[in-house]
Amino acid sequence: MSEKWYQKIGKNLFEPDRPVSSGELIFFKLFELFVVYYTIRFVWEWALYTQLRNVEVVLPLGVANYLDVTLFFDHHIAPVLAAITTLLIIFCFFRYGPKWLYMVVLVLFHLLYVIRFSQGEIPHSQNLIGMSVFCFAVGAWFFPGKDRMPRFVLGSIIFFIGLGYTSAFFAKLIGTGIHWFDGRHLWLWISEKSIDILSRDGVYQPNFLQQLALNSTAVASVILLIGWFTELIGFTMWWKKLRPYTTTLLILMHFGITMVMNIRFDAFVMQLILVGYPWYLLIDRFTKELPPWLEKIIYRGFS
Amino acid sequence: MTHSETHRGMKIIGIILIIYAALVATHEGEFWPFSIYPMFSQAGNPWTRAMVMDITDRSDDEMWVRTTLQHKAGEPVPVFNYGVDQIDFSNFVSKTEDWTESRIRAMHTMFGGENIGENRWMVAKVHGRMVGADSVTVEIEPLILLTGDDAVLNPDYR
Repeated sequence: MSEKWYQKIGKNLFEPDRPVSSGELIFFKLFELFVVYYTIRFVWEWALYTQLRNVEVVLPLGVANYLDVTLFFDHHIAPVLAAITTLLIIFCFFRYGPKWLYMVVLVLFHLLYVIRFSQGEIPHSQNLIGMSVFCFAVGAWFFPGKDRMPRFVLGSIIFFIGLGYTSAFFAKLIGTGIHWFDGRHLWLWISEKSIDILSRDGVYQPNFLQQLALNSTAVASVILLIGWFTELIGFTMWWKKLRPYTTTLLILMHFGITMVMNIRFDAFVMQLILVGYPWYLLIDRFTKELPPWLEKIIYRGFS
Repeated sequence: MTHSETHRGMKIIGIILIIYAALVATHEGEFWPFSIYPMFSQAGNPWTRAMVMDITDRSDDEMWVRTTLQHKAGEPVPVFNYGVDQIDFSNFVSKTEDWTESRIRAMHTMFGGENIGENRWMVAKVHGRMVGADSVTVEIEPLILLTGDDAVLNPDYR
């Protein structure tokens, strides 16, 4: 019987025919540590900024549309929420507590995001870490155990990363039209970002690539077109054989965005590097057995 | 993971996608961490950002005059040095339509009277747009004058 298209995608994402190796489990735990580190870092950054700076809600996001988040601006409530999130995600990492504990972490993570970013900015650089916590929450709940959780978590993260890039392509096509890549649009964005940098640092000097783009509509258009095309093919990450190539193009695109628009995506790019390549093969070459401490954590599982 | 678990995994992803779509569709494309990633989707539109200039040496007559970026009234004050997030500050200024007393005071609180001291800082809107086929113009609109103990809205602001 021929496979349906979504079954083929599922096989590429979850690789049911490949046995679980030590390298895969070690990599998974290291990746989880990366997500835990960034979650803790973000919640504290957001909580401390909120405590110091937030006064009024300029733009309500997520649950802030239904809940007055000014309640969390004072009395150290945001840092307390950050502390609870930190404690719970450490429990999750060591698999103490119920299998829905990651879902509680996700809710607190969302709450701290909408509290902090109620000031008008809608940043996306933390979205991949947020989506990862979401996938850990679903994986821990529906696919617990060492043979299933790593496959579901990493497979679903790759699915949503690919979807996100392709979605960004269509948002531009719908929002502007096929002429989105007109180089003069890039001139406007470069000038906009230059004001942000001038205001932030007090000085601004365009770099070589920005000067090239500002001197020629054609160069600016080619830069936009390459980036836009790379977003379009983001969904090809779903196919295992194409994944490393697509990931490499996406990383290069982010490098280009940093150069042209002065926007950095550190956690985003690091996560792409981690999930886009089969690092477990490299670890398998050096490790045949799980270290005992790791084996203990992985086999413990959620209660 | 077995083949049947893979099938179940895709079903769960399908259910998540429906929830994802419902949430972003009803919340203007954003329900963190779900997003349609609409950044830079509307190209070619004029933009408005914000900056602060030190106008201590400027006369009162020149204070509220609109200028181009090249002829700005004073040197930019690096907001980062005062612990202010530029993007937050810029959005606060550009998205506020009704400058109530509390909003004007919030601007003063953001920078702190002790940092301003004896100086005079001007919070300004910065507008950028395409002019003709091949150039971008950037104009500065003075908005709020900050001194050590006060904040005053541009009398011409509507």
